[in-house]
Amino acid sequence: MNERAPREAASDPDAAELKTQIVEYCKRKGALAVGVADLDAIDLVAPPGHRPRDILPGVRSVISLGVGGQTQGAWTVPTKAFAYFGSTEGRAYTIAYGCSFFIENRFRARSVYCPPDMDPEGGARIPLQSLKLHAELAGIGARSLAGDILLHPEFGYMYYASVFTELWLPPDRPLDSNPCPAPSCVEMHRKTGQTPCMKFCPVQCLSGDINERGEQVEMRYDMAKCAELTQQYEAVPAMLADAFAAPDGPARERALSDPDNALLWYKMSVGSGGLLAQCFECMRVCPIATRAPLADPIRRATAADKKA
Amino acid sequence: MPRGYSFEQIGITEAMIATYADAVWELSNNIQIRRGDPIRKLDFTDFETQRPDLGMSDAQIAAVLGLTRDQVLAIRVVTEVRRFRRRNYHRLYELGRGNRFRADRYVAPAERAGFREDALALRAAVRFDPARVAEFVRAGWWGSDTLARWLTSRATEAGARTALSAPEGDLTYAELAAQVERFAAGLDALGLGRGDVVCVQMPNIPEFVVAYLAIARLGAVMSTAHMPYRAAELRTLLAHSRARALICLSATKEYAPAVAALAMKSGLPALDHVIALGDRVEGAIPFVRLAGIEGAPPDDLVSAPVPADPFLLLYTSGTSASPKAVPLTYQAMLGNARAGVQEHRIKADDIVLSAPPYTHLFGLYSFHLALAAGATNLLLPVFTPPDLAQAIAKERPTVLFTGPAHLAALQKSGLLDGTDLSSIRLVICSGSACPPELARAVAAKLPNGRFTQLWGMTETQAGLYTRPDDPLEISATTAGRPSPGTEVRVVGPDGAPLAPGEEGEFQVRGSLMFPGYFDNADANAAAFTADGWFRTGDLAILDAAGNVRITGRSKDVINRGGVKYNPRDIEDLLDAHPGVMQSAIVPMPDPVVGEKACCFIVPRPGSAPALDELCAYLQERGVAKYKLPERLETVAEMPLTPTRKIIKGRLAELLAKGN
Repeated sequence: MNERAPREAASDPDAAELKTQIVEYCKRKGALAVGVADLDAIDLVAPPGHRPRDILPGVRSVISLGVGGQTQGAWTVPTKAFAYFGSTEGRAYTIAYGCSFFIENRFRARSVYCPPDMDPEGGARIPLQSLKLHAELAGIGARSLAGDILLHPEFGYMYYASVFTELWLPPDRPLDSNPCPAPSCVEMHRKTGQTPCMKFCPVQCLSGDINERGEQVEMRYDMAKCAELTQQYEAVPAMLADAFAAPDGPARERALSDPDNALLWYKMSVGSGGLLAQCFECMRVCPIATRAPLADPIRRATAADKKA
Repeated sequence: MPRGYSFEQIGITEAMIATYADAVWELSNNIQIRRGDPIRKLDFTDFETQRPDLGMSDAQIAAVLGLTRDQVLAIRVVTEVRRFRRRNYHRLYELGRGNRFRADRYVAPAERAGFREDALALRAAVRFDPARVAEFVRAGWWGSDTLARWLTSRATEAGARTALSAPEGDLTYAELAAQVERFAAGLDALGLGRGDVVCVQMPNIPEFVVAYLAIARLGAVMSTAHMPYRAAELRTLLAHSRARALICLSATKEYAPAVAALAMKSGLPALDHVIALGDRVEGAIPFVRLAGIEGAPPDDLVSAPVPADPFLLLYTSGTSASPKAVPLTYQAMLGNARAGVQEHRIKADDIVLSAPPYTHLFGLYSFHLALAAGATNLLLPVFTPPDLAQAIAKERPTVLFTGPAHLAALQKSGLLDGTDLSSIRLVICSGSACPPELARAVAAKLPNGRFTQLWGMTETQAGLYTRPDDPLEISATTAGRPSPGTEVRVVGPDGAPLAPGEEGEFQVRGSLMFPGYFDNADANAAAFTADGWFRTGDLAILDAAGNVRITGRSKDVINRGGVKYNPRDIEDLLDAHPGVMQSAIVPMPDPVVGEKACCFIVPRPGSAPALDELCAYLQERGVAKYKLPERLETVAEMPLTPTRKIIKGRLAELLAKGN
């Protein structure tokens, strides 16, 4: 394990106070968890071109925040409807966007919220930055057996956003332990060789091993299968290729405008973008995602009241 | 074009893509393997050793493979586009709401069985006037009826009620539904499915009903072959219908249908299976094996039959060189039957006996009515006057479906007088117009029942009928009024509707109508008027009350020197002659007047009426001289259709051969 000295003194009382104000701001705006990732650690993992400095050259801190909270009802709706519930990620981006203004206005340090989308120079499925990496190093999520989706022991499944700032803030450490797999999943794996997320994945893209202590030994994720299920990057060009290859007019019309393709055009024109975007079956069956102590917003509010 | 560069600029070729596609695929994020928890534990040494398995960036892959980053980017994206399956998201549509994905049960939509080319060709023949369809649906004439739904409803609501009563035993609706499920599973196991045509040649026995409902349960289409049909007729029907299977008896007394079918199989490319009921036939699939399959056919949306589906393909002239095949949909047929239940007042406690075979639409109509009402079908495997009389006397049916020929045979064999008809509350007589005297004679033998007539065709099912409350004179002399959803008219030679009382061509349209003959453009062109009326080929007179009297067939009209007349009235008179059992008049070519009338008779035993005697008899009854037959032919029996209608075309052929 690498033991590295932080770039600034972790005990800097001013920095700690600033961090507290920033965390409180984010939580006030709806974040469930907020942390600061170690920038040097990010650089060791993220490949060149995908490090915070590639976005903000003077960056000194990476703030990661998570939002979440699906109702119990949401976990029961049809998958085609639940796909739209993923828009909670927009709330995370909004908080990060506000947080960067908050830092600039309050602390006069340049800040930016991390663009969550694909790197236009990187081709399909390559993001500008790994928000997951930031969150893991900031201690607000740990990698699960479900395709490296992050889980939090109290908040379950969250969406993440990051803020890059030139303000130095003391970094947090990753979580001491990984909540995945849950005890019930360990038990199931022992009996069947699969956890719920592995068993119920519609494309069977997950597999993995758990040791006798109930810890992850290996996580295997066939991302290609997962992407085939939920992403449609290749659909439009393939549709056009079908149309070009169609033998006659009616076949060409079907190739362009059969019910599936007509929906695709709708999504691209006036709809809400991605066709399904996510599948969520692995999270729907995850006891941590759906039944973490504070995953339920009502229980979260009650816990906050008690704390107050 | 990676990052603005063309493939030519960065030196990408198909050979390079083929060479490195696998390596780039595996090193990229497409396949990810993580051992332990290195990032959370800040163990970056361990993480670095795992980097190739966790998924590398394009630049990192480029360094490993000795390529440029842009080359890797191009190869990766092209490979993903080529390898990623589209529309994989369909499986998500079945998830949520508590449903969990089961890999072992999932079949991708693209892999599910679809309609075969032959089935699609049949469906392409099912085309209705869209404006009329909207009207039929609005009026409720077309509804949600399918045989599968009806059977499920009957089995659920009244499973213990007797569905089939046969000499070998009874079947309740629950038992029938279970047998249908098993046999459908058996047919499904043979690869038969939605839209496939399955031909059935069996008498009115429980296995016919099981086969029919199982075919319907699969969304397949039943075609029928009448029991008297032999290899020549069967070959024509199987070839034209593109039937994928034939369900028949192993053998009858004088014929071996399964053996005959197997012998012709090599010449029928669509025919995959011969299923035989009875003794084992080498090469045929035993009916009992399919009936014994446990389980149920798949019940997904793809295979579920719907009301718009064609479910019957029946032949009106199967033995000709140009068969007229009639595709029939649930909407038209079962909607017509559903309305018929109300009009005929069929009740769940009725016992319905059909003298005609189920291979004919009139027989099937009786079954449809009984199924719709939840009544009992009393099965008469083969009609003979004694068998019919015995079934009535012993099993006490309440509703009798019959043709005039059945009744005439019963009467002439003396069994009409000697049979207790007290159980019968309704007779529905169809197949041809019933001679009024016969109708009155039958009605007089019904102490508790009513005699009614029905006019229909394979193309229409039930178009006209008299109602149980109609006066006997209406039921004895007419085919009644249109069924719900049916419009009728009588037109003259110019196609204009005629006034009541005038004889002309009988035309029909409405929600009961078939969509057109399958694979017979000439027949379709001749069958319909420009405004969508079906030319029935019958002659009729409409009365002021809307009752229709069918007076004959237009092609039976005799044109004697330009004077046309319908010989039907003369046949009715001849049938009443004491020396005549049955008569039929057909035109014979004449070089002077064009056509003259030739009379065929089956004499009563011990009688041999001469032409002069018959003409005198007719003239005594007011028949004009030009209508008198000019030739007499005596035959031992008339050529009959399976519904016991006289085939006048055969008589004309006999005449031609004789000349």
